[in-house]
Amino acid sequence: MSWRLPALIARTGIYWVLLFLFAAALAAIPEFRTAENLANVLTQSAPLGVLAVGQTLVIIAGLIDLSVGQLAGLAVVLVCALADGNSAWTLPVVLLALLLGGGVGAVNGVLANRLRLNPLILTFGMLSVLQGTIFVWTDRSIGRAPAELAWLANGRVYGMPVAALLVVAVALGTHAVLRYSRLGLDLAALGGNEESARRVGVPTGRVRLAAFVLSGLSAGLAGILIAGRLGTGYPIAGAGYELDAIVAVVLGGTALAGGRGSVGGTLAAVLVLGVVSNVLNLLQISAFVQMVAKGLIVILAILANQPHTQKGMVPA
Amino acid sequence: LRRALSAAAIWLVLAALLAAAALLSPGFLDPAYLVNIVRQAAPIGIAAVGVTFVMILGGVDLSVGAIISFAAVLCAVQMEGRAENVALALATTLAASAAIGLANGLLIAFNRISPFILTLGTALAVYGLTQVYSGGTARGVVAPGFREVFNLRLGGLVPVLALAFVAAAILAEATLRTTRYGRSLYLVGSNRAAATLAGLPIVRLTVATYALSGLLAGLGGIALLARSGVSSTFAGRGLEFDALAAVVLGGTTFEGGRGNVAGTVAGVLVLFVAFNMVNMLGLNYNSQLIVKGLIIIAASAAYTWLNREAD
Repeated sequence: MSWRLPALIARTGIYWVLLFLFAAALAAIPEFRTAENLANVLTQSAPLGVLAVGQTLVIIAGLIDLSVGQLAGLAVVLVCALADGNSAWTLPVVLLALLLGGGVGAVNGVLANRLRLNPLILTFGMLSVLQGTIFVWTDRSIGRAPAELAWLANGRVYGMPVAALLVVAVALGTHAVLRYSRLGLDLAALGGNEESARRVGVPTGRVRLAAFVLSGLSAGLAGILIAGRLGTGYPIAGAGYELDAIVAVVLGGTALAGGRGSVGGTLAAVLVLGVVSNVLNLLQISAFVQMVAKGLIVILAILANQPHTQKGMVPA
Repeated sequence: LRRALSAAAIWLVLAALLAAAALLSPGFLDPAYLVNIVRQAAPIGIAAVGVTFVMILGGVDLSVGAIISFAAVLCAVQMEGRAENVALALATTLAASAAIGLANGLLIAFNRISPFILTLGTALAVYGLTQVYSGGTARGVVAPGFREVFNLRLGGLVPVLALAFVAAAILAEATLRTTRYGRSLYLVGSNRAAATLAGLPIVRLTVATYALSGLLAGLGGIALLARSGVSSTFAGRGLEFDALAAVVLGGTTFEGGRGNVAGTVAGVLVLFVAFNMVNMLGLNYNSQLIVKGLIIIAASAAYTWLNREAD
């Protein structure tokens, strides 16, 4: 570990990007400074935050999960259609959404283990299956989210957005699992080198299953948050979230090849994306131009965040 | 024999799918129907050839879907419905597409960043640019004769578009097998350190290969325009994953150093035969998505299984 400044900046790149961006927005845009707007940024970033934390686990294990966006979307439709605004149904639909998420994750995990499928192909296929399932169910918004979920997604306690606190709790839990538990070690070992992991006795099949189940659970939870935010079962609510999640994970410094990564970096990257989107909205930039800007920011952020390879070292 | 079986795995999957399709409807094996599937597959197939090159080098290109959309819109707008504009429109489109690929290649070669994320970023930017350029709706008019030439059936059977796909694939496979450039891709992809020590120009190879991928995606966009005649801005949305699925089904790995164009062609055909089977069953688009997903998983499973038997 080096404490020379360039190396330090490289290792903490995404935090610097976030700091700079945040300072610039605070200084330049009066509307950005209001407490209301800052809370909004956190609230709006919450579903992506949950998804990206789940994706961090999967990517550290050397896998990838493209099915999470549509899985969250299916959870949104499920929650709203079943509860239909009835508070008595809140707890059952929340449990059902988590069960759906964990269940689809388990199917991904079992298929990956039994059939030895490439995770990208497998979860791409699952994405298509889930998207089809949503649209066979409904092609328009159905049902209403119960009031408790609206509070979970948009409410405040002591001025702090509930959803943001939830994300922090999920992130802390995940961080603890990664750093201090056997499963965390095993996930990194699987992502680092599967063959070596198996030889030192890591139960690779079970670890892979666990990674996909946790990812599925995060998608279920994200779906609950999105349902609360939207208030209705919008069938394309989850579309595209999988890419944003992967972008956030990698911008946060997690290696796509697996083996290492950090939840903190992922959350910083989620906030970078959230601040950018908020600022562009405040400046009333059209959605098309926003897309271009988002693409350029992804490119710039990854350039700023590139790992410094030492001279003479062969890049991976 | 075992190696041969492994290489043939994706073709066996294709044959099994065709047999199943023939059981569903005897008309499926009609040559006219089969070449039409090849015609439908041409836009993604041509782009997938470029992705194959990039992945053999050890990279990946997720910007091809966006470039396909961009190329279709740009080409249609440049033509303005006039035959005399066609040559210039094609040249501009291909140059612009190659330039996007070139930018990908330069950024990746000189910065050693994850091509997966970089090309996702390019994809977002290019989708946005396409939207800004077109104003968010279909724009541009295809020149008279443009579509007719590409969809003409030579000898009353083989559409020019299908022929173009096959020709591009053969040319690409020959390049991979016989040229110095093609062999270098495998060496860099399988062992970058050794390739560096052997003095291969890795930067130039990387830049050239991403530029080629951009160029082929541009051709794919033109093929899409020729096939559909409509330059919808979202025409290419999600196609990058179709192309990627085809390449991986065809046996090219993410690690690089392995793969070939023939496998990719078979992979593309597996996808499109599957799409056609779903259509034939009379299912609507929504249930098609489910079946498409299941077939991708099943075909991939069958392929992996055959490969393992062969090892």
